[in-house]
Amino acid sequence: MNQFLAMENFRKWIPLLVLIGLALFFTAVNPNFLSFRNFARIAISASPALMVAVGVTFVILMGSIDLSMEGTVAVCAVLFALMLNALGGSIAGWGWMAIPGTLFVGAILGAINGLIHVQLKIPSFMASLSLGFVGIGLSLLITGGNRIQIEDPIFRSLLTLRIGGFALMSYAALAALLIAWFIQDNTTIGRNFYAIGGGEDLARSSGLNVGKLRITGFVVAGIFFALGAIFAVARLGIAETETGRNFMFVSVTSVVVGGTALRGGSGGVWNTLVGVLIVNVIGNGMVVIGLPDYFQDGVLGLLVIAAVYLSTDRRSLSFVK
Amino acid sequence: MNGGLTYTERMRRHFPWITLVSALLLVGMTDINFLSPENLLNLATDIVPLLVMAVGMTLVIYIGSIDLSSQSIANMATVLTTISLPALGVGSGLLVIAAGLLFGAISGVVTARLKVPSFISTLAVGGIALSVGQFASGQQALHMDAEQRKHAFGWIMGTTAGIPHELIVALAIVAVAWFIQNRMTAGRTFKAIGAAEPVVVASGIRVERYKILAFALSGMFAAIAGLMFSVRLSGGSPTLAEGFLLPAIVAVLVGGTPLTGGVGGVTNTLIGTMIVAVVRSSMLYLNIPATGQQIFFGLVLIVAIATTIDRSKLRIVK
Amino acid sequence: MFELQNVEKRYPGVHVLKGVDLKIGDGEIIGLVGENGAGKSTLMKIIYGAVQHDAGNVLVDGVPVHFRTPRDAMQMGVGMVYQEQSLISNLTVMENIFLGFEKPFIRFGAINWKRMSEAARKQLRKVKLDINPATITSRLTFSQRQLVELAKVLALEERVDGKLVILLDEPTSVLSKDEIELLFSLVRELRRRASFIFVSHRLDEIIDLSDRIYVLKDGAVVDVISADEAQIETIQKKMVGREINREYYRENRQIPYNKDDVLLELDHVTVAGRENDVSLKLHAGEVLALVGVEGSGREPILRTIFGMRKPEKGTVSIRGMTVRSFSASQSVSHGVGYIPRERKIEGIASGMNVFENMTLSQMKNYSKGGMLDIAAERELARDWIRRLSIKVASENVDCGNLSGGNQQKVVLAKWRSGGSEIILLDHPTRGLDIGAKEDVYEMVRDMSVDGVGIILVADTLEEAIGLSHTIAVIKDGEIRKWFNCQPGAKPSLYDLIQHMV
Repeated sequence: MNQFLAMENFRKWIPLLVLIGLALFFTAVNPNFLSFRNFARIAISASPALMVAVGVTFVILMGSIDLSMEGTVAVCAVLFALMLNALGGSIAGWGWMAIPGTLFVGAILGAINGLIHVQLKIPSFMASLSLGFVGIGLSLLITGGNRIQIEDPIFRSLLTLRIGGFALMSYAALAALLIAWFIQDNTTIGRNFYAIGGGEDLARSSGLNVGKLRITGFVVAGIFFALGAIFAVARLGIAETETGRNFMFVSVTSVVVGGTALRGGSGGVWNTLVGVLIVNVIGNGMVVIGLPDYFQDGVLGLLVIAAVYLSTDRRSLSFVK
Repeated sequence: MNGGLTYTERMRRHFPWITLVSALLLVGMTDINFLSPENLLNLATDIVPLLVMAVGMTLVIYIGSIDLSSQSIANMATVLTTISLPALGVGSGLLVIAAGLLFGAISGVVTARLKVPSFISTLAVGGIALSVGQFASGQQALHMDAEQRKHAFGWIMGTTAGIPHELIVALAIVAVAWFIQNRMTAGRTFKAIGAAEPVVVASGIRVERYKILAFALSGMFAAIAGLMFSVRLSGGSPTLAEGFLLPAIVAVLVGGTPLTGGVGGVTNTLIGTMIVAVVRSSMLYLNIPATGQQIFFGLVLIVAIATTIDRSKLRIVK
Repeated sequence: MFELQNVEKRYPGVHVLKGVDLKIGDGEIIGLVGENGAGKSTLMKIIYGAVQHDAGNVLVDGVPVHFRTPRDAMQMGVGMVYQEQSLISNLTVMENIFLGFEKPFIRFGAINWKRMSEAARKQLRKVKLDINPATITSRLTFSQRQLVELAKVLALEERVDGKLVILLDEPTSVLSKDEIELLFSLVRELRRRASFIFVSHRLDEIIDLSDRIYVLKDGAVVDVISADEAQIETIQKKMVGREINREYYRENRQIPYNKDDVLLELDHVTVAGRENDVSLKLHAGEVLALVGVEGSGREPILRTIFGMRKPEKGTVSIRGMTVRSFSASQSVSHGVGYIPRERKIEGIASGMNVFENMTLSQMKNYSKGGMLDIAAERELARDWIRRLSIKVASENVDCGNLSGGNQQKVVLAKWRSGGSEIILLDHPTRGLDIGAKEDVYEMVRDMSVDGVGIILVADTLEEAIGLSHTIAVIKDGEIRKWFNCQPGAKPSLYDLIQHMV
C-alpha cells in the first residue's frame, strides 16, 4: 500500500520533472534558452493558450471534452475587436465594455455547447467539434475573411507594458489562473466537477443535477476561451478567424500532458499550467536550437499519445472507441 | 416479435435518399438547368476526393470510432505525390497509399492497443501527418511537371463517352469498399464491433486487429483522396485539402451511418456525399457565401448525429 | 416507523415482488434473507428510491410517500450503505459525506472547509472513526470506507425530522472478524438514532444482530421470525423449501457420462486476483454445475476457462493439451464455447441478423481468402432454425427483435454449429419464460448425448441439481464440496446450502 502511494505521489510530479528536464535540455544545447528575455517571451506566447487550456480543463475534469475552442476563440476575438472599435476604440473610454461583452459571448457559446451535448445526448467531442466549425464559419461571415486592427495603445499595453520584465498580459493570465484555482478548489461547482469525473452514477444518486453541472462546466470553459481570445488579440493587435487557429490541438495537448486524466476526476488547473509551459517550452526551445517550428505538431502528437497512454489505467477500461 | 420494426425506424432507413431527391427537386425548381445531366455529372466529379475520404471515414465510424486525421493525411498525400512523382512516376501512388495505411494503422494501434480514445489518437496522428507534410514540402505549394503528370496519372484525368475517368475510379473505389464491407469477414467483423463489441470479444475474435485494420483502411482512403486531389490540381501543399474534414464527417452521418456504428455503410455515404454536393452547389446557385456553408454543415452535423445516434449503446454520454 | 404495504413490482415477463408487507419500528433491526433471485435487491431498491414500485404503499410514520430518486428517500431519512461502495474515490471524506448538501458551508460563494471539516468530524465520531476528514477517500481501507458510508447516511439525521432507516447490504462480506464485531456493536449502539434493515447471506450474523427476520422467497414474504426463536436450519428450509420437479429438468434423459474421456482439466489453478486453488475435470457428456452465492467466484472460473483471464498459477488443459496462451480466440479454436450471463450485452449482437450472429465465432469456416460464402451461412442458419425450432420469420431477421428464448437458441446454435465440445453456460435461463427454459433444458440434454461437456452456472439451485451430473459447491473462490448427482440420488437444496453460506 505504501509503495503504491509512493508511486502515485511520484506520478503526480512527472509533468513538472518533464518541464524541468526540457528546460535543462534546451539550455544545454543553446545557453540562450536560459535567459530572462526568453522566459518573458515564453510567458507571452503561453498566456492565451493557458486561458483556453484552463477552460477546457474544467470540462475534462468532468470526463467530457470541449473541442469548440477554435471557433469560440475566433468568434470572441472578432466580436471583441468590433465591439471595442464601435464603442470608441479605446479601453479608456466606453470601449472597456467590450471585455465583459466578450466574456458574455463566450459564456453564451459555452451554454449552447453544453445544452446541445446534454439535452440532445450527443457525445461532447462531436457536439463541440461541430459547434467549433459553426464558430469558424460565423467569424468568417462577420469579418468577410478580413483582419480587424486594434490600435488602442492602452489595450495593447497588455503586451507592451512590462513589469519586472514580464508583459502585463502574463500577470493578467496569472490572475485568471488564480481565479480558476479558486473555482476549482473552493466552490461547490468546482468540487462537483470532480465528483462527476470521479463517478457520474454515484454523483447522480447523491442528488447532484449532473446535466446542469455539465452545462455550467461548458459555460465556465466558454468564458475562459473568451479571455484567451482577448489575450490573443492583444498579443497580435489584430482579430480574425485565424486567431483561433491551432488552439484545439495545443490546448488539449497541454491539459493531457499536464497530467489531467481524460476520464476525468483528477488533475486540475495547476497541472494545466505545467502542461501549457511544457508545450510552449518545446515550441520555443525548438526554435532556439534551430529546428523548424513545423515539427511542433508532430512532437506534440507523440507527446499527447505518450501522456494519455501513461495516465490510463487499462485494467479498468473495457472498451475504448 | 419477428422483425417488427416501428414505422419511424423503417422510415429512417429511407431518409437519406429521400433527402437527396427532395434537395435535387428543390434546387431543380429554382433552376431547371441544375438538373441537366451535364451539371449533375460535373457535380458528381467535383466531389470525388471528398467521396473517397468519406468512404474511408465510414469504415471507422462503422466500428463506432472516429477519424479526425483524414484531412491531415490527405494534405500529406498531396505533398508526397508531388514530390515523388519525378522519381517514381505512377509508383508515387503506391508510396502514398502505403503512407496512408501506415498512418492509419498507427491511429489504430494507439486506439485499440494503447486504449487512447480515437478522437484524441487521430488528432495526434493528424498532427504528426501535418508535420510530415510541412517538412516534406518545406511549407510551400509544389507543382507537378505537366508531362510527368500526364504520363503517370493521365488515365485518371481523361473522359470516356463523356464520363470523367475520375468518377469511374471513385465508383470503383466505392465498389471495393462495399465489397469489403458486405462480402468479406473483415467487413462483417466491423459491423459486429459497431453493433455489439462485447459480443465480438466473447465470440473469440481478436477485436484489436480488426480495429487497427479499419483505421488503416481509413488512412489509405484519405491518402487516395489526397492523391486524386493533387493530380487534379497538378500540385501539392500541406494545406491543399483544408476544409475536407467537416464535409466528410457530414457526408457519413447524413448518409445514415450513426456515430455509434453498426448500421449504414459505404452506400449510405455515397448518398450522403451527394447530399453534401447538392447542398454545396445549390448554395452557390442561391448566392449564399461560401462561409455560410461551414455554419450550415456544422449545424447539419449536430442534427444528423442527434437523429441517428443509438442512445441505448451510450449508458453515460460524456 | 417505516412500512411497506402490499408492494408489487413487475418487470417484463417476471413478477419480482408479489404483495410484500414489511414493517420496521423505531430503533428496530430487521434481518432480510432470501435466495438469489428471491427479490431482495429489488425490494431494497424500492426502499431507498432507486426503483419505483408498481402498486402498494410505502409509509413513513403512517404517511404515504413516493420516492422517485435516492435523494427523495434520503430527504425522508432513508439511506443505503451499499455493498459495492458508493463513495467517490477521488474526493475527500468530508466532501463525500456532504456531497449534494454543501449549501450550509458556503460563505461568499466559497466552501468553508473548516466548518465542513468540523461537521464531518461530528459525523465520523458517530461511527467512532478517527480520521482526518480531508483524507482522499481512495486512501482509506475498505472497512474505513464502509464506516464513512454509514457516517454519510447518519448525516441525514440533522436534516430530517423523524428517525432514520438505514439499509445495510451485505456489510460484512469483506470484513475481518474483528471488524464485523466492531460494526455490530456500532449498529447496536446506533439504534437510538436509527432503525436498520440488514441484508446478508450469513444467517448466523443475521440471527445475532437482528430483532426480527423476514424470509423472502419467490418475491413474497414467506415468514417473519423473531430472532430469539430463529434457527439456521429452519430459516434455510423456509428460504428454499420446494420440491424438485424431475420432469421439468428432463431427468429421465440424463445418461451417465464417459469417465475416461476428459475434455477439460484445471490443475491447481489460481484465478487472477484471488488467492484460491481450483482443480476440476470435465468429461464428455458431463454437466458440471458450479454452485455458490453471488460473488463466491463462479464467474471468474468460467472466464478463466474461456481465456478471458489468465490464471496466476496452475495449468488448464483441454483434451490433454496444456493451454499456454490465454485469449478468447485461443479457447474458441480449442472448441470452447461461452454463453454469457448478459445475453443482450455479450451474447447477441442486436442489429445483426440470425446468420450473421451464428457465424460470428466461426467465420473462417464460411469464407475463403477473407470472402464470405453467404449462401452457406444462410443454409447453416436455416438448418439450425429448424433443428432448434427457433421462432423467426427468416434468417434475415435482426436478432435484437427476437424473444429472449429465441435469442438464447441462436447463441447456442452459434457454438454448437461451430463444433464446440466444451460449453460454458452462465445463467442460461436468466430472464426466460418457462417454456423457453424447458427448451434450454432439452438442449442441454441433447448436447450431453452428443458428448459435449458442459459447465453450468445455474440461475437457481433447483436448476443446478436437476440438470447436472456433478456439482461443485464454491465458497470464497474455492471448491468446498463435491456432489454426485445421479438421477434418483440427487442432493437436496439443503445439502448444498449448508456448504454455500
